[in-house]
Amino acid sequence: MEKFTKSFPSKPLGAKTAKPWALAGVVGSGNLEVLVERGGKPSDAMECHVETSIPGYKASWLAALADFAHHYPAGGTKVTINDQGAPPVLVNLRLRQAYDHLTKGDK
Amino acid sequence: MTGAILFHELTARQRIAALADAGSFTELLPPPERLTSPYLAQLGIPVSFDDGLVIGHARIGGKKIYLAAQVGQFVGGAVGEIHGAKLTGLFKAAARDKVPCVLVIESGGVRLHEGSSGEIAIAETMRAIFECRALKVPTIAVIATDIGAFGGIGILSTCCDFRIMTEHGRLGISGPIVIEKWMGKKAYDSANRALVWKTSGGKTKYLLGDADALVHDTADAVRDGISKFLGKSSAVSLTSVKSRQKELEKRLKKFGATSDPNAVWKSMGVRDIEAASLASGPEFAALAKRGK
Repeated sequence: MEKFTKSFPSKPLGAKTAKPWALAGVVGSGNLEVLVERGGKPSDAMECHVETSIPGYKASWLAALADFAHHYPAGGTKVTINDQGAPPVLVNLRLRQAYDHLTKGDK
Repeated sequence: MTGAILFHELTARQRIAALADAGSFTELLPPPERLTSPYLAQLGIPVSFDDGLVIGHARIGGKKIYLAAQVGQFVGGAVGEIHGAKLTGLFKAAARDKVPCVLVIESGGVRLHEGSSGEIAIAETMRAIFECRALKVPTIAVIATDIGAFGGIGILSTCCDFRIMTEHGRLGISGPIVIEKWMGKKAYDSANRALVWKTSGGKTKYLLGDADALVHDTADAVRDGISKFLGKSSAVSLTSVKSRQKELEKRLKKFGATSDPNAVWKSMGVRDIEAASLASGPEFAALAKRGK
């Protein structure tokens, strides 16, 4: 297991979201779950907590998370991830799904 | 939301959303509570925010129910301490509030990493289920995936008033691979899908009376199946237990020495095995007279 926490600069999230939290994905082989919540600090950064079963890929994680924070206004969110070996492209997809559910609802 | 997607292809959360009346589901102990398994964390295995079980209350056709769905992709939907405590609590709440409880099952049984806690939790959940049944509060299990209901969860599912299955669902105690390991490949070939489904699958379980309804593999069909049982309950009494025991003795006598599952289907009234193999849900049920 490898665990780390880091904040990434990101434009502030809108004042209103469809839900206070959203979850995407499932903890299964090659998959991960992403929980996105309002209330992360500060408001101009995306606060990330990652736990992964595959150690040694911190650089890839930081790149994937920084890329997401750069492209989406996710400042003031708290992102918590439980990972079981998902590839970076899936990490990006789940982040987008969770963010979409948070801002627009489940539909 | 689900469109043409089959029920067995949905995730636990999607299943709940597809079964409950729109917007009626309120999750209890949701992911932000972070009630995760302390045992898996110690063993260096990834944890999940809901510990593989989504629980809450909802409405189906306007009727209030308690609703739970297991996450089969997370350690095989297996029951650990947190998962089990949520399961027990939900059935206890159902008994307390006299509200029907529906469990969408997808579990191989107890989670071996936290075996004792899981076993105890399953026993406590069974007690809570019988509490519901004594109060005539309906308890319904839905078994609709190939992970199915095995081990302690297989037993637990048969403690509920009613079981709704699809042809994808499987129900048993020991799973096919376990049987093969103990009895040998000649006795039971776990790679033979036709054999496995004809012994533990929804169609056979429906024929034998272990499943109370066989429905199509869609959320709509499963929801209709649940609705039919919401106002009903099946009493537990010494007489009912004894007569069930007699039925099982008869079944063992009749099929105990049979090695061909088709022979079981035939003697349960299935005339055309091939047509029945291809038929699904109620169409299958129409091709056979059911023995219970």
